[in-house]
Amino acid sequence: MTYALVAGVLFGLYFSLVGIGLNLVFGVMRIVNLAHGDMLMLGAFIALGVVGIAGIDPLFAVPLAFVVFLLAGLLLYWVLVPRLQGSANPEMLSIILFFGLSQVIEAVTTIFAGTSERSIQSRLLGSVFTTIKVKWFGGKAGGAGPIQILGQGFPAPWVIAAVTSLIVIALVYLYLYHTRLGTLTRAVMSRRDEALATGIDVDRVSAAAFGIGLGIAAVAGVFAPFMFGSITPAFGADATVTSFAIVVLGSLGNPLGTALGGIVYGLCYMLVQTYLSSWADLLPYVLLIVILLLRPSGLLGRRVRVA
Amino acid sequence: MSPERTPILKVSNLVKRFGGFHALDGLSFHVTPGEILGLVGPNGSGKTTAINVISGLYAPDGGEVTFDGASAGGAASHRLVHRGINRTFQVPKPFLSLTVRQNIQVALAYGGATGAPSIAELLDDYRLKEVADRPAADLNSAQQKMLDLTRALATRPRLLLLDELAAGLNPAELDWIAGRIKALAATGMAIIVVEHLMGFIEQITDRVIVLNAGKEIFEGTLATAVREPQVIEVFLGGEHAR
Amino acid sequence: MPSAASRHLLFILAPLVAVFALLPGVYQNHLLLFNFVIFLILAQGVNIIYGFTGYLPFGYVGFFGAGAYGFAIMVMHLQWPAVLAVLVGGVVAVLLGLLLTPLLRLSGAYFAIANLAASLAVLHFVANPALEGITKGPYGVSLTGTFNPTHAYYAAVVVMGLTVAAVVYLKNSAFGLALQAVREDAVSASMAGVNVVKMRVIAWLASALIAGLAGGIYAWYVSVFYPDNVFSGEFSIFAIVFALFGGVATITGPIVGVIILYGIYNLIGFTTPQYFQLIYGLLIMGLVLFLPAGLVSLATRRGWNVP
Repeated sequence: MTYALVAGVLFGLYFSLVGIGLNLVFGVMRIVNLAHGDMLMLGAFIALGVVGIAGIDPLFAVPLAFVVFLLAGLLLYWVLVPRLQGSANPEMLSIILFFGLSQVIEAVTTIFAGTSERSIQSRLLGSVFTTIKVKWFGGKAGGAGPIQILGQGFPAPWVIAAVTSLIVIALVYLYLYHTRLGTLTRAVMSRRDEALATGIDVDRVSAAAFGIGLGIAAVAGVFAPFMFGSITPAFGADATVTSFAIVVLGSLGNPLGTALGGIVYGLCYMLVQTYLSSWADLLPYVLLIVILLLRPSGLLGRRVRVA
Repeated sequence: MSPERTPILKVSNLVKRFGGFHALDGLSFHVTPGEILGLVGPNGSGKTTAINVISGLYAPDGGEVTFDGASAGGAASHRLVHRGINRTFQVPKPFLSLTVRQNIQVALAYGGATGAPSIAELLDDYRLKEVADRPAADLNSAQQKMLDLTRALATRPRLLLLDELAAGLNPAELDWIAGRIKALAATGMAIIVVEHLMGFIEQITDRVIVLNAGKEIFEGTLATAVREPQVIEVFLGGEHAR
Repeated sequence: MPSAASRHLLFILAPLVAVFALLPGVYQNHLLLFNFVIFLILAQGVNIIYGFTGYLPFGYVGFFGAGAYGFAIMVMHLQWPAVLAVLVGGVVAVLLGLLLTPLLRLSGAYFAIANLAASLAVLHFVANPALEGITKGPYGVSLTGTFNPTHAYYAAVVVMGLTVAAVVYLKNSAFGLALQAVREDAVSASMAGVNVVKMRVIAWLASALIAGLAGGIYAWYVSVFYPDNVFSGEFSIFAIVFALFGGVATITGPIVGVIILYGIYNLIGFTTPQYFQLIYGLLIMGLVLFLPAGLVSLATRRGWNVP
C-alpha cells in the first residue's frame, strides 16, 4: 500500500508534467492539441538521440527538447493558427487539423525510426549526478540504485522525473504570476474576447503559450521511455488521451489545476495497477468520461461550456 | 371583468438566483391579451432574466409563473412555445447556415401552431422578401432581428416577449416596427417589451413596470413613472451621487 | 419538396445501389468493393451525426466494433442465422448509444474526446482476457459457420441504400432542417418549438444503428477478426475524413469523398502503411486549411445547388 501510494505520487507528478502543456494551449487558445501526445513521443526520441549519438546522460535532452519545441511551436503557430481562426468553426476544425498533424508526425517518425519498441537503460538517466558525486566527493562510480522513500525502494528515474516535474510546474507558476507576458496570458485565459478588445496582443500571448506548451510536452517525453518502459511512434495517440484525462481531471483551462489532476490520476493508476491490474487499461478512458459527465469543469474548475 | 381582461400571464413572487446574486427577488406582475406591457429598469435590474424565466430558459428558484391558467414555471422551452409563449433575443442567434426561408420553416413545422401566418406573409411583413433565399449569416443585424421576430411569430404565440427589439434600428424603422407591434397586439396577442429607448416605450406601451434589483418599484404609465421620485432615484441616482 | 426527394432517390440513390449491386459481376476484387460499401455507410453515418447535428464522433468505430461483436456473440453462442445476428449487431450499437447519450451534454472538443475515450473503453472491455468466455478476449473470434461473403456483400449494399435514403430524408424534410437548426443554435431551435434533446438523441442513435449494422456485416464478411481490427481508430478517422472531404450536410458529399479518396488510396496501393498515414495526415491538414467546407463548397461557392 505505501509503495502504491508513493509510486502514485511520483507518477502523479510526472503525469502533471505530461498534461500541463496541453492545458496551457487549451486555456489560452481554446484549441485541443490532438498532436500533444506526439510531442511527447518526439521528446522521447530526442532523449534516445542524445543517448544513442552523443552517449551522454539523457537529462541533457531536457533543455534541448524544450528549446527545439518552443521554436517549433512558435513556427507552427504562425503557419497554422491565423488561417484556422479565419474559418467558420475554429474549434471543431482545430481538432481535425491537429489530428492530421499527429498523423503526419507519427508517419514521419515511423518512416525514419520503424515501429520497434525502443528503450533506454534506466541507469543512464541522472548519471551526470553520479559522475559529479564521484569527481567531487569521491566514492565509487556505478549506476544509481533505487532511491529509498518511506522504507521502499523506487527506481531513480521515477524520482528524477517527479523532481523535474515539480521544477517545471514551479517555473510555469513563476511565468504566469510573475512575468508580464504571463499576466497577459492569464488575462487571455479568463476573458479571451475582452482581452482582444482591450488591445492585448493575443497572438503574441497565444504563440508563446503554444511554444511553451509544446516545449513542456517534449520535456515530459524525455522521461517517457523510463516511466513506461519503452516507446514507439504510435505512443502519441495514447499519450494524448491520457493527457486529456489528466487535464480534465484537474481543471481544463487552469494549468496549475493540472498538478492536482496528475496526482489524482497517478494514484488511481498505481492503485488499479496494484489491485485490479487486468482492468488497468480501461482506467484513463472511464475516468475521463466519468469526470466529464459528473464534473465537466474538473475537480478545481468552476464551469465549462456545455451543449 | 370581461374575459378579455383575464390575465394570460401571471407572475407572482418570482425568485431567480445566480450564486449569491438575486437577479429576481420576488417579482410579481400580470399581462392581459392585447396589452403591451413595458419592462424598464437599469442594467442588471432583472428584465432579461424575467423574460428568460418566463420563456423557460431558466427554471425559477421560487415563485409561480401561470400561463393561460396553468403553471408554466420551469417547463421546457419547446413545450412553452407549443403552449403559446415565444420571444426574441437581445442578440439574435438565427440558424446561420440555413436560408432565411428555412429558418422560418423550422418554426412553422415545429412550432405546433395551427393558423400560423404563411412564409410569404412573414417575409413580406418584416421586409425579408429580398433575402429569403440567402443564408441568415448574410443578413445585417437589423434583418437578423426581424428574422428572429418572424421565427417567434411563425409559432403563433399568444404571449410575445420582445427583448430589445428596437435597439439599433433607425428612426424610420422604429416607427414602422412600432406600428407592427401595435397591430399584433390588436389581434389579441399579449406583448411584453424590454427596451432602453424610452421614446419607443412611450409610443407603444399601455403600461410599464419599473424594476430595480429584481423587484418591482413602480407600475403605471410611463408618463407618471417619470414623475415618481423613486423611479428618478433609480435611473438618475448614480449621477446625483456624483 | 417531395419532388426534390424523389429526384434525389432516383438520380443519386438508385444509380449508386445499382452500380454496387452489379459491379461484383464485372470486377474481381470483391473485398475492395465491400470496403467501398462499408466506408460509404460509415461516411454517411458520420454525416448524420456530424454534418446534420454537429457532434464530431471521434470514437465512431465504437459502434462499428460493438456491432461486430454483437454479431459474433449471437453466432458463436446462440448459433443465430447471420441476417438476424446483423440486426442484433445494430441493436447492440443502439444500446451502446443509449448508454452514451449523456455525452451529448458535452459540446465541441469535449464531446469528441469523450467519444474517443468511450470507444477505447469499449475496445479494452471487449478485449479483456477476463471476458474470454464471452468475447474470446484479445484472442479474436472465428465464425466459419456463417462465412458467406456474397450474402454479406449484398447485405452491405442494402444497408448502404437505407443509409443514403435516410440522408435523402434529412436533406428534404423539416426534421433534417430542425436538426441543422439545433446544430446552429440550440436555444433558438428550442424557441422554434424543437425538442432539442430528443432530436439529438434520435440522430445519435440513428448513426449508432448504421455503424452497428455495418459492423455486424463486416464481421459476417471477414468471419475472423480481433478486437483491434474492428475497433481500429482508422474506421472513425477514414469515415470522418471522407465525409469532410466531400462536404457534410449534403447527400453527395460523403459519397464523392469516399469514391475519390478511397479510390486514390487503392489506386496508389501503398505497401507501407506509414506513407499512406503521412499522405492522409497532410490531406487532413490541407483540407482544414484550404477547403474547410469540403469539395462541394467549390460548387456552392459558384452558386450551384449541390444536393
